[in-house]
Amino acid sequence: MSIRSVAVAGSGPMVWIAASALRRAFQHLQLDVCVVDTGATRDARIGRWTLPSQRGIHGLLGIAEPHFVQQTGASFKLASEHVGWQGEGSRFLHAHGEIGVDIGGTPFYKFLQRETLAGRAERPESFSLAAAAASLGRFARPAGDGKSLASSFTYGFHLEDVPFTQYLQAHARRLGVREAAAPLAEVELDEAGAIRALRLADGGVLQADYFVDCSGPEARLLNALGPAARDDWSDWLPCDRMWSALAPAISHPPAVTRIVAGESGWSWRAPLANASMAGYVYSSRFASDDAARATLQRREPSCSPSLLTHFSAGRRRQFWWRNCVGLGAAAVELEPLVGADLHLAQIGLALFIELFPLRRSSDVEAAEYNRLMAENADALRDFTLAHYRAGAPRAGEFWAMTRASAPPARLAEKLELYGASGRINLLDHETFEETDWAWILMGAGCMPATLELQILLRLAKLPAQQVNALRAQIQQLAASMPPHIEFVRRQAGPAAGGAH
Amino acid sequence: MPFPLRIVVVGGGTAGWMAAAAIASVFGPAHRQIRLIESSEIGIVGVGEATLPHIRFFNRRIGIDERELMAKTQATFKLGIEFCDWARIGDSYIHPFGAYGSRLAGMPFHQFWLRQREAGATTDIGEYSLPIVASRANRFALPAEDPADVMSTFGYAFQFDASLYAAYLRSFSEARGVQRTDGKIVDVKLRPGDGWVESVKLESGEEVSGDLFIDCSGFRGLLIEQALKTGYDEWTHWLPCNRAMAVPCENSGPLTPYTRATAREAGWQWRIPLQHRMGNGYVYSSNFISDDEAASKLLARLEGKALADPRPLRFVTGRRRQTWNRNVVAVGLAGGFLEPLESTSIYLIQIAITTLIDYLTERPTDDQGRFDPRIVAAFNRWIEMEYDRVRDFLILHYHATERDDTPLWNYCRTMRIPDSLAHKMELFRERGRVVTYKDGLFLEPSWLAVYFGQRVMPRSHEPGADAVDAATVGAQLARMRERIQMALTRMPVHEDFLRAYCPATPAPIVGTAR
Repeated sequence: MSIRSVAVAGSGPMVWIAASALRRAFQHLQLDVCVVDTGATRDARIGRWTLPSQRGIHGLLGIAEPHFVQQTGASFKLASEHVGWQGEGSRFLHAHGEIGVDIGGTPFYKFLQRETLAGRAERPESFSLAAAAASLGRFARPAGDGKSLASSFTYGFHLEDVPFTQYLQAHARRLGVREAAAPLAEVELDEAGAIRALRLADGGVLQADYFVDCSGPEARLLNALGPAARDDWSDWLPCDRMWSALAPAISHPPAVTRIVAGESGWSWRAPLANASMAGYVYSSRFASDDAARATLQRREPSCSPSLLTHFSAGRRRQFWWRNCVGLGAAAVELEPLVGADLHLAQIGLALFIELFPLRRSSDVEAAEYNRLMAENADALRDFTLAHYRAGAPRAGEFWAMTRASAPPARLAEKLELYGASGRINLLDHETFEETDWAWILMGAGCMPATLELQILLRLAKLPAQQVNALRAQIQQLAASMPPHIEFVRRQAGPAAGGAH
Repeated sequence: MPFPLRIVVVGGGTAGWMAAAAIASVFGPAHRQIRLIESSEIGIVGVGEATLPHIRFFNRRIGIDERELMAKTQATFKLGIEFCDWARIGDSYIHPFGAYGSRLAGMPFHQFWLRQREAGATTDIGEYSLPIVASRANRFALPAEDPADVMSTFGYAFQFDASLYAAYLRSFSEARGVQRTDGKIVDVKLRPGDGWVESVKLESGEEVSGDLFIDCSGFRGLLIEQALKTGYDEWTHWLPCNRAMAVPCENSGPLTPYTRATAREAGWQWRIPLQHRMGNGYVYSSNFISDDEAASKLLARLEGKALADPRPLRFVTGRRRQTWNRNVVAVGLAGGFLEPLESTSIYLIQIAITTLIDYLTERPTDDQGRFDPRIVAAFNRWIEMEYDRVRDFLILHYHATERDDTPLWNYCRTMRIPDSLAHKMELFRERGRVVTYKDGLFLEPSWLAVYFGQRVMPRSHEPGADAVDAATVGAQLARMRERIQMALTRMPVHEDFLRAYCPATPAPIVGTAR
């Protein structure tokens, strides 16, 4: 018996992304997709920043980007700026783009490492178009054929959740996604322990062959199946709360998420088309909710903290269990530092579509899904954790705790090899690439003891004038881009002003 | 530690000379000083060796001219491996160096082939692979660069005489300053305190000291095992063959651009065509056949006159626990052994050498002459992964069989396989999905070749493959077959191509039927 219907339960953007993607992928099977609301979840937030893979989600759903930007009041994101992570006065960018250009198969950042080791400190920021544009407050979409400098970067978005969710909901409706008449009340199991149906608040019953759980940390469907084994990451990543709020527009905002280390966590500020957002992510072990709220207010006086988000770093061991797949915080909870929550959910969604079950009993598909998603989730954990572990430590109890326990073996191995020779080895399913690791490790001031001999031999062939020309060309290209906010408003067209 | 690094290669043969040649070529005399010690008393078994396309990266990196190499080693081209009698007696399939068909609507090609097959179509999946079609027709041409050209859908490797290969690399290495010493090592001296290898002592009395020792001494692992007691993980419960008989014979019939591996009663037989003769061997398990019987079965099954007496080889399938231990790196048989069923021996040598070259730093050792343990650990993890991934793929060949005609096949068919492989097979059986990975050998087409070739058939295709209508699928697949047939007509006969591209020097002994 093939799968004819899927119910997607939850709230927030991911519900509509999942429902739309499933509907589009299995149009030819006339797959019935119905969304069931689960009400506000503990991880609801004001907004978020995304990775460039969000553009891929748009492609998957058939969303035209200019329309999307116009309707949601989004802004673009070229980089994250990390302030104070290695102590007061420290600062670095992690840009969504290449560092320099490949030197005959050798990544350019190796050249910067060589120079730095030789006492001629060089920053990746000087050789990245994305970073240069971010620093100048400018933005344009990448252009050209993939090999040109103008195409050497990509971008993500800053999004406010309410208009973002509304936009996705309208899109899902156009695709023929159905919506249940009432919110979820109860999950009904069959004799085999799988989900038979969802009972709704109005007494109605929604039956489906398969279920997707986007109900946040509550995981209302997966948790109804029974107690679940979980990996807890909170010793490594102690942040478990976030205050966030809308704030007035920043004048001439760069396409940058600003992430500033604080006493018991970190605060952030991100632009939108006609407003901005701010938040404070902290550990409840080190600050009370009231104190954290006051911290955010002090750091961003223009905003009034309104929404408290709860999470607990860790992941399920089984994301796909019986006839239910969890996406988002129902599967993995991670602080929003690297902006990868939608990305990870999208990887899960794409994998679920690839492994779409042939029938309700689908243990082998679930085993494969769980194997791959565990690797993906652990890789994101490692990359997030590397921000806390790389470079000079910041003073304070909270910061000491983030380095107190031994890191996961796979991260330890990566950092040790890097420390020895500058080599960055990636495992099978990592979201962030070698260049991303170079951005944060070098940004944090983490330098290898020495470099590989074969790399140095290749670098010896690089003429100095080529490096200087590259630096100049990047500055020139960045300066020729329009100001970021102008670009955003141009997307919005004549009907721009006052979107929400 | 200042350069040059003093590198001592222990043992000649394929592994030793590949190591010497590569290091000498990538690093100049300012950085290394290489000494290779081999004993002319210890011979090499040089009946013919088949390679994988990766060897071409190795050649390019160290600057070996392919045509010259082929001419000097009696080499032929290789487009894949033919497997005969593996799932059932009478079966034959080719594991090609290239893809099957092309993707449709973002889905792998084979999903559409499966869907058509479920609807009653009878085309062989081999019809969608240019290297398979060319192999069956004994044709060869160099691949094209343009990805739109069907001639770009394959790669190639070589079949050559391993003793000539070692000789070729020797002259290549000596021209780059590698110093060869003919001598037998009688003792290994360890440094007091930390037990690192200080020097090796030759029969002549000379002591050769070094910073880094590359152990290419074969199975016995003179340094890595006998001196350092590194330990070995055995995999014979999954891969029970532990011996081989090897013998060259005269060529007969056309030179095939592929290696053949035929399943036999207690193992399998290889057939590697070279320009001047054919390499043959019987890989078997001593639990299921005697040496004498294996030799006589092998001789009886040769296609031409035997050119020597069968030479016996013994091995234990598995991997050294650490390929790099202290200042010894084990390359080739000293590092581990996986039977040559998928021609992985030279690949594993190559990976160990190129990984070592890549990982060596500007300051390779500290004040005490020690290598950075963080680099050594990363190196060992990498090599381990390579071995493990090849291992699962080899086990599949033995396990995916319906044969019940001999005790060996009954054992392999019913043995417990690694969980990682069991999962891969189950996922493929369920829906034709291949478990893939980023690094290491054997991509999707390789797994497909063996699954389909050994009758591991999916119960169904994946739902995503239904997104394209049947008529379009039919037309697209027909076009793929036509393009391959068109390309085939433009490919020369393998032997003609060889004669024009890289005729052997000296000229090959002409086989009886040629």
